[in-house]
Amino acid sequence: MATRSEAVYPVGWKSGRVASWLVTVDHKRIGIMYIATSIFFFALGGLLAILMRAQLAGPGEHFLTKNSYNEVMTMHGTTMIFLVVVPIMAGFGNFLVPLMIGARDMAFPRLNALSYWLFLLGGLVLWLSWFSKGGAAHAGWWSYPTLSEAMPWASPGHGQDYWILAIHILTLSSIFGAINFIVTIHNMRTAGMTWMRMPLFVWAMETYSILLILAMPAISAAVTLLLLDRNFGTHFFIPGHGGSLLLYQHMFWFFGHPEVYIMVLPAFGMISEILPVFSRKPIFGYKAVAFSTLAIAFFSMLVWAHHMFTTGLGLGLDGFFMISSMVIAVPTGIKIFNWLATTWRGNLIFDSPLLFSFGFLALFTFGGLTGIFLAAFPVDWQLNDSYFIVAHFHYVAFGGIVFALFAGLYYWWPKMFGRMLDERLAKLNFWLMFIGFNMTFLPMHMLGLLGMPRRVYTYHHGGLWAVYNGISTAGGVLTAIGVAVFVANIWITHGLRKGARVGNDPWMADTLEWYTTSPPPPHNFDSVPYVTSARPLRDLRRRLAEDAT
Amino acid sequence: MRRKLPTFVLAVVVALATALVTASVAAATNGGLTPVQPESPNASHTLTAYWVIVGFTGAIFFLVEGLLIAFIWKYRSRGRGRAVEGPQVHGHSRLEVIWTVIPVLILCAIGIVVFFQLPKIDAAPASAHPIHITVEGHQFYWQFDYPNKTRSINTLYVPAGRVVYLKVVATDVIHSWWIPALGGKIQAIPGKVNYTWFKAPPGTYEGQCAELCGVYHASMTAHVVAESQPAYDAYIGAQAAATIGKQEWSGVCATCHGNLGQGGYGPNIATNSLLVQVAGLEQILRNGFVGGTGAMPPVGDTWNSAQIQALVAYVKKNVYKAAPAGGATQ
Repeated sequence: MATRSEAVYPVGWKSGRVASWLVTVDHKRIGIMYIATSIFFFALGGLLAILMRAQLAGPGEHFLTKNSYNEVMTMHGTTMIFLVVVPIMAGFGNFLVPLMIGARDMAFPRLNALSYWLFLLGGLVLWLSWFSKGGAAHAGWWSYPTLSEAMPWASPGHGQDYWILAIHILTLSSIFGAINFIVTIHNMRTAGMTWMRMPLFVWAMETYSILLILAMPAISAAVTLLLLDRNFGTHFFIPGHGGSLLLYQHMFWFFGHPEVYIMVLPAFGMISEILPVFSRKPIFGYKAVAFSTLAIAFFSMLVWAHHMFTTGLGLGLDGFFMISSMVIAVPTGIKIFNWLATTWRGNLIFDSPLLFSFGFLALFTFGGLTGIFLAAFPVDWQLNDSYFIVAHFHYVAFGGIVFALFAGLYYWWPKMFGRMLDERLAKLNFWLMFIGFNMTFLPMHMLGLLGMPRRVYTYHHGGLWAVYNGISTAGGVLTAIGVAVFVANIWITHGLRKGARVGNDPWMADTLEWYTTSPPPPHNFDSVPYVTSARPLRDLRRRLAEDAT
Repeated sequence: MRRKLPTFVLAVVVALATALVTASVAAATNGGLTPVQPESPNASHTLTAYWVIVGFTGAIFFLVEGLLIAFIWKYRSRGRGRAVEGPQVHGHSRLEVIWTVIPVLILCAIGIVVFFQLPKIDAAPASAHPIHITVEGHQFYWQFDYPNKTRSINTLYVPAGRVVYLKVVATDVIHSWWIPALGGKIQAIPGKVNYTWFKAPPGTYEGQCAELCGVYHASMTAHVVAESQPAYDAYIGAQAAATIGKQEWSGVCATCHGNLGQGGYGPNIATNSLLVQVAGLEQILRNGFVGGTGAMPPVGDTWNSAQIQALVAYVKKNVYKAAPAGGATQ
């Protein structure tokens, strides 16, 4: 491979404008395709969210039917988790990891391309299931049996089977990607880049990959058993025949909780890259931040049953999972305090990446704290499966992860495409999303406390229920406008070519990806400086300044 | 960077205004900042634990968000160029220890409070005459079995002030029993038996199924009516049996077929003669039905024959309209 560099950018039909993307094994192009595809699915999933908010805007509405609401709700969750957050992290990882560690490409470029194409295939299978017999899956993104079983009153259509197939394909994609990241990070770091000089985003991708390999087989196994139940007459999850519904819940959440950290750890990694650059300081407590990532990953494997406190596990298990869940708050708190300390006495440059990072910090802290309520299992008995929990995980997944993703997009956009996105539109994007997000999800806490369960297609209470739901829907629209501003920004920057071209390092950043041109050439680097710290570019700037004087 | 100031001030003002409006709306109507007004001891102790957690997490929230806003204000660039660096501080071991240990202590405190409240939430107070009732979750209704083998649908009658133990079960899909004022939820899982309890003063309490159970998940509401002992005795003595046919029709059949059997999610059955044939109806109720347009769950798989006869009697009198000789419907 490495000796046949002409194979990567061959001549002939493969170098056409479209064909070159279809056959590429270049990690940067694969990364961009991952990110673009994820953003496309983000728009689709967001559309579903708006449909749900429209249905719930007032009591007793008939915007969607009951059946379609359940389909829309299931597809929204599945899309956002499996087709947006996990793959967009793989996209950023693909683009950034080889550049950050000074490598030529990922360890297995063809396997890398396979990961991407499997992801796209899985997404198509899931989304084409709308047209299958019986419509899309409608048992929620957990697909708990027996509601997801093939009984005529449960999920008799083919949508659930396509859902299972999509999960299988996406699992393969994720595991191939994870193996690739691990091999790349372990073997291809440039000279001088010891583990303690590695960018924190790379630490996060390493941990993300390990968690994917540990957690993904659990859901693969669970949905395989479900597939056998549905189509081949087994009874793994049919209680009348000796099956166990709790078995599925255990298998699902053994994957499901690490999945949360699979999604959030790379977001943490992005924040750990961006905050120092825009504070003009090093990250506070590099080792604490790196090792707390590993600690979170370790404990995330031990907390799954806190999703099952209302299933009657017994006080012994409830107590164990409460304590293990609370333990996770400690390394997470360490990160938050280190990030805060990073900004302390800094020179805070309020460009959009920093704005989104502060948005992340403010919202993720809130989402983390509401998690304490849910870890305390007697309180969880009251709050679980209510809108409180919907609010909680959106503060983590949207307020946390999506805000970090936007920070990352605005930060690395010039490196990916060589042009700067418009700053004023970026700030408009931030404020619309920040205000819209809080309007959407803050009232949901109150709805849950008032007794509104999640996953209901309508409600009949007026009064506060209607007020809070109305605010929430209005906030959803505002958030969507915020995202539309982002899309408009891309159009203005590239479609109209208004974006200013940038040099190698527009932000005066710290890490190696800023050493090469923007966008980087196919081979990434002509040469890579010997790395002597976690901030090789700053070292370089200092040496240049010293040479000049 | 002085020009950045107005945006920031504007943002703070907007945020404070939103928070104030929301909080005052919620406080004025006592809704949404805490779980609903508890009426059962387990719910009250849950509320106590909730307030303790609000206290600790609220303090952390204001600390973190306060520092964040203060740092944003104090260390904003003010036009210093990008080349101006802050002090190159790489960390501080004592600080790391402090912000590791203090959260641990806070979590220990929360854990202790929770475990201290737990026995009063989990276990009912000792009671000489507790009542044992079975709650059965179904697509899409709740069925209650009283100690004297009578049943009611969707509305649970209990004597006020007595400890009520609920055995929570299901036969089709997972449901979740939740009356917010009377304590937390517990799933009704096919193949598993779960328990919960409450003790309610006189009143009517509302709740609904909290676990997605199919198309009519949102309609699966439940009411608990706590009344005087004589009223309760009278209810399970005769009233329950006398009204079970009506309860079944309006709580089970009407959800899909409409109050008059005119159809809705399910087909129009008002003139379907199967409605008044005990054997035929029993077959459908017990086994479900797969028709041209959809499927009916086996809604009556746990019903006894008295229940089915009561339903037929009610339907014959109130719903069924035999097609007139002319053949016109309805």
